[in-house]
Amino acid sequence: MGYFIDLVIVGLSVGMVYALVALGISLIYSGLDIVHFAHGEIYMIGAFIGLVLFEKLALPYVPTLLLAITLTGLLGVLIERLFYRRLTRAGGGYTVAGMGMIIAGFGMSIVLQNVAFLIWGAKPLPFPVPFGMPVEIGNLALPMSYVWIVVVAVALMLGLHVVLRKTMLGLAMRAVAHNKDIAFLSGVNVPLMISVIFGIGCALGAAAGVLIGPINYVQVLMGIGVLIKAFAAAVVGGFGSLPGAIVGGLLVGVFESLGAGYVSGTYKDVYAFILLVVVLMVKPSGILGVEAKMKA
Amino acid sequence: MLEIRDLVAGYGTVQILNGASLKVDRGRIVALLGGNGTGKSTLLKAVSGLIRPWSGSITFDGARIDGLRPDRIVRLGLVQVTQGKEAFPAMTVEENLKLGAYVVRDRAAMARNLEQVYSYFPVLKEKRNQLSGTLSGGQLQMVCIGRGLMSNPKMIMLDEPSAALAPQVVLDIFRTIHRITRDGMTVLMIEQNVRMALLLADYGYVIKDGVIHIEGPAEKLIHDDNVRLSYLGGTVANREAQL
Repeated sequence: MGYFIDLVIVGLSVGMVYALVALGISLIYSGLDIVHFAHGEIYMIGAFIGLVLFEKLALPYVPTLLLAITLTGLLGVLIERLFYRRLTRAGGGYTVAGMGMIIAGFGMSIVLQNVAFLIWGAKPLPFPVPFGMPVEIGNLALPMSYVWIVVVAVALMLGLHVVLRKTMLGLAMRAVAHNKDIAFLSGVNVPLMISVIFGIGCALGAAAGVLIGPINYVQVLMGIGVLIKAFAAAVVGGFGSLPGAIVGGLLVGVFESLGAGYVSGTYKDVYAFILLVVVLMVKPSGILGVEAKMKA
Repeated sequence: MLEIRDLVAGYGTVQILNGASLKVDRGRIVALLGGNGTGKSTLLKAVSGLIRPWSGSITFDGARIDGLRPDRIVRLGLVQVTQGKEAFPAMTVEENLKLGAYVVRDRAAMARNLEQVYSYFPVLKEKRNQLSGTLSGGQLQMVCIGRGLMSNPKMIMLDEPSAALAPQVVLDIFRTIHRITRDGMTVLMIEQNVRMALLLADYGYVIKDGVIHIEGPAEKLIHDDNVRLSYLGGTVANREAQL
């Protein structure tokens, strides 16, 4: 029993990382109607920016985290303004840009990988953060890096919830997610709000990258695996649903951890997809599939 | 207050409005009547900024507004009230209303506007914490009118406020619109329900094939056979056939 609980705790903390990435993907999907395939690279760039701030500027971990989140968010805004939004100029806005937007996302993913390769090279880089002694939970010694993941992820999720539920900015974001024309007619600056939504989505991805850095190495190709698992998480939870992204992320994390613990660690990456297939067979809309978008 | 001159607009390459002109004076209720596909909604979208006019001019309160972004036009005090079905279903009644006050940054002013809206529609105050997805059609229309009033506009444009509502509910809503106008609002109303609209309005325009076909004071239009004919989308030929 103790072993089971240990696996669940580790699974939940890794699941938080998937949940953050999935949350960004779902947020962007509900706000801009695009499935952002370059989101794994945003996560990777976020981790590299964090590493630079931590190593080169010797910032402490918390300022590193906050600054990396902010910078990557702004980079996201820039990418959206310079590239994705051009595709919407042909008319119809984000809602009908569809296939072109998906291709653009794949293209952006390749571009960002190669930019990162040119700057940082292909070698995995360590992100050594002196977190101190592991925490003892029963007979499990949970490394502090996992505790940080849980604390920071929960704080970000609560923060997002409060912004969406309690502020005019959040109200405007939800309005834009539901219907851009009606949001416009209510006086919301829709183009600005689209930037805000995309930026927040990217910031969440960057947070995940900076959080996972100290556990895994930081490397150019780190985004692909996480993107696929975050997609699995988003679909399991109900694509476009924010609580669904969190629930899906945690489920994928726990399922993966249990599979690795009881069956075999070699097939670690398979378990997420087994879960995905099962959920799609039983409830294709996902666990928390909703009609109303950006339900927080 | 609002003057539209020779407005031409459409979607893609399809021209819908072929040079429509109309005028709304301050403090008046003006009805724009016409059947489906005559250009009513296109005109509304061009004025509120959702589509860009191809040519012609739109002047509001002395300033050109054609080509401005919708949120800028809202800031200038011209608000399009959407149809009831366009309330945000996953938001509570009060959230829907507050969204309408997005351009109002002053909390006290927002609270004042909210009380004002609740005084027009007391039922919304009772249901303020309910999701608007649970409301009736009439209440949804009230939410949308209320949302339009929340930014304290100088003029509102109503998009078929009677659509899909029972006659008694329409009457209630029209009474409230009348009350809102008495409090100083200017109204442009798009309607298919010609009789009801002309009972409420001071002046009416009938649009057909993207141009203004007939216009006049409401009490004159209501007795005009051509108005009913245009509204039904009939032609002179089939009118003669009927005779």
